[in-house]
Amino acid sequence: MDFTLSNEQRDWQMKARKFADDEIRPISLARDAIRTARETWDWDVIKKGSKLGFRTMAVPKEWGGHGTDFVTQALVMAELAKADSAMSKAFSQNWKWSHLISQVCTEEQKKRFLPGFLADDGWVLGKGITEPSAGSDNRMPIEDPKSGIKLRAERKGDEWILNGEKAFIANAPIGKLFFIDARTDSTVAPKQGTTLFLVPSDTPGFRIGKVFNKSGWRFYQNGEMIFENARVPHANVVGEIGGASKKTGGAGGDTTGGDLFGDLELASNALGICDDACETALRYAKSATQGGEPLFAQQNVQLQINRMFMLTEALRSFVMRVAWEHDMKIHSARAGLAMNYSCDVVNEVAELYMEVRGAEGCRMDHHADKLIRDAFIWNHLAGDSVSRMKIARRLTVGH
Amino acid sequence: MYSLQLSPEQLEIRDTVRDFVTREIKPAALKAERLDIADRSLLLAQIDAASQLGLRTLALSEDHGGAGADALTACIVTEELAAGDADIAAVLSETSRLSHLLIDLTMNDAQRDAFLPKLLNGDRYHLAFAGHEIGSDLRLGVHYHRAPAAEAVVKTTATKTGGDYIINGVKDCVANAPLAGLFAVLVRIPGRAEPAVLLVPADAPGVSVKAHENAWPHGAYGSVTFKDCRVPAANLLGDDAVALLTGTSEAGRGNPIYQALNLGIGRAAYEAGLDYAHIRVQGGRPLIEHQAIGTKLAETIIKLEVARNAVWQAAWASDHPEAVADRSLSDLPLTTIAQVFVSEAVMKAAKDAAEIFGAMGVMRDMPLQKYIHDARVCLHANDGNSDAKLRIAEAIAGYRRAATSAMALAGE
Repeated sequence: MDFTLSNEQRDWQMKARKFADDEIRPISLARDAIRTARETWDWDVIKKGSKLGFRTMAVPKEWGGHGTDFVTQALVMAELAKADSAMSKAFSQNWKWSHLISQVCTEEQKKRFLPGFLADDGWVLGKGITEPSAGSDNRMPIEDPKSGIKLRAERKGDEWILNGEKAFIANAPIGKLFFIDARTDSTVAPKQGTTLFLVPSDTPGFRIGKVFNKSGWRFYQNGEMIFENARVPHANVVGEIGGASKKTGGAGGDTTGGDLFGDLELASNALGICDDACETALRYAKSATQGGEPLFAQQNVQLQINRMFMLTEALRSFVMRVAWEHDMKIHSARAGLAMNYSCDVVNEVAELYMEVRGAEGCRMDHHADKLIRDAFIWNHLAGDSVSRMKIARRLTVGH
Repeated sequence: MYSLQLSPEQLEIRDTVRDFVTREIKPAALKAERLDIADRSLLLAQIDAASQLGLRTLALSEDHGGAGADALTACIVTEELAAGDADIAAVLSETSRLSHLLIDLTMNDAQRDAFLPKLLNGDRYHLAFAGHEIGSDLRLGVHYHRAPAAEAVVKTTATKTGGDYIINGVKDCVANAPLAGLFAVLVRIPGRAEPAVLLVPADAPGVSVKAHENAWPHGAYGSVTFKDCRVPAANLLGDDAVALLTGTSEAGRGNPIYQALNLGIGRAAYEAGLDYAHIRVQGGRPLIEHQAIGTKLAETIIKLEVARNAVWQAAWASDHPEAVADRSLSDLPLTTIAQVFVSEAVMKAAKDAAEIFGAMGVMRDMPLQKYIHDARVCLHANDGNSDAKLRIAEAIAGYRRAATSAMALAGE
């Protein structure tokens, strides 16, 4: 086994660490404290990061991107998340869907969308899957044609007419281009009746509704998408009609870049939160005192810090192994297990961090409170029972 | 005899308060803007209405015009209130607790004549104990199983001048400060070894209150500044007031009122999760019909039921010292035991209930993230569970602290 990073991987890691220290951490708590969900986003930090490659680093080199490998992506996500988990996610969300573009779009579609995405520092991507009545049903679909996605797409000549709505969609309020899952056949199971479309934000009949006001990941924008006779050209159909699930895993298949990356993404991002919590807790325990002694002199504090670091290092090993396996094209349920595990670890580590700090008088430290709210995002994305059962089912098919 | 058979009165007051919470508190507390944890403005109209039901003076003796509720009844009421709004429960239980400690147990007749009518006649007349000062740290921590104990900082002075005391100093993190009509203020009197408690009306000249915006604990908190504040010497409480108010008294084993509040938060989260699990259909059937969700709710109710037993047992022990004396109940610090168990159980309950809601569980205009925050506040209240476990450890180790007051003076 060789855990050595290449020079290129190390360079990306260092560049990410510097950007996180210089640009992300200084604004993290202030952005978190903004009460209006729509106003937490900051284009300045996104554009600065984009110029350094953090928006486009997953686009293959032949298309003008940086073509970074999964190990590099995992390292960068963790470094950025160590300064602000939500800002890290705001960058990596673009990698997730640029993976998808390069894997599943036609050459013609790539030519239409990738150059624009690469050139524009303010171009971010999103994907609309979840709907008010279709959450778990999209992740663990059933055969009932009435279940799952309701957003309809009907063909009219060279166009498709989309009607319905999406909810909680990441980057919806600020994105320029979205992948959208829509039902093209409501008489068959969602898995067979759903088609994937490319929908630019300026599509006629398409608009953004409310921006969701989340308790954690406040910087990261999640919004409603509303389609009222939205007109999408047939040329924007990704893959075959009724083939959305085969293309993205969005309706259950688990075979493509989008999902592979998604598992690694959440696990790597959690690692960043854990690193932040560990370092800050240790620093605090060495400097804060109680009864005239440093907190760290106490056995209970040593045990808490031991557990924080132990869990974090175990997660790091898991994350880096999965990233390396992805680069070796070894794909297995382990990526999903790492994601589930990251939920348990990030929650426990953040809770322990708050315990080390404790309330001072009648105030709680904002940083500890933020990390714990960010960590709880994992409970519905990465560690809920549906996401665990889904991974268990992958184990039964042996990949 | 140890019994948890509730009296007809206790059952009636539980039903009354539950109904009040459903009709009057929940509609206001569950409004989207109120669920944002950044908005902790008090629901004053509901607090006033609860006062009219007698909940502000619940623990005050009937002789003095209160409901004379024992610890168990107060816990039952507080759980119900907190299932509607933890801040309301915190404000009312603090005034109720202090009305018993001050009016029933420590005031003399003249003091009672001066302050009891104001308490009884003003729905918005609340009580506050101004004890804590910046720099005070009463954690056990490094003092575990060794002397000396942590000492409270009492820099606020009360200097006798003729027939008055002149008070100067700043108290911080005072529960109920922004609503208080009367403060019981922990002071140092030059020339006296032990601290003392003075009654100070909120409208006395030289008193100013600054509310803490978004304080961590539940209720209403603030700092109170005394600047050449003059009160009559007759406002001095008897010597036992310090121990009663700071909780260092040997009498009683502590009242698990705060654990009842914590339990109410867990119940609200559980009930929300259960309701949603009945209505939300995914995977072709209501969530509750899925094994994973059914099991999660079962685990939650197991924890909450055991938690309630811990609270009620501690309350019973508080009401019946004889049950401890005759070994019906253990002489362990049952309230502290309840604190650890209830706060951990409710934290897990709130997170599990939120997970049932999927993404809605993290939205600031939805109740679940609020319950999680509320549960976490309790988890880190009272110096946190690490410290609570040390207190329990000292008890089971048989470690006896010197009987002298933990309120030794600083600043002299």
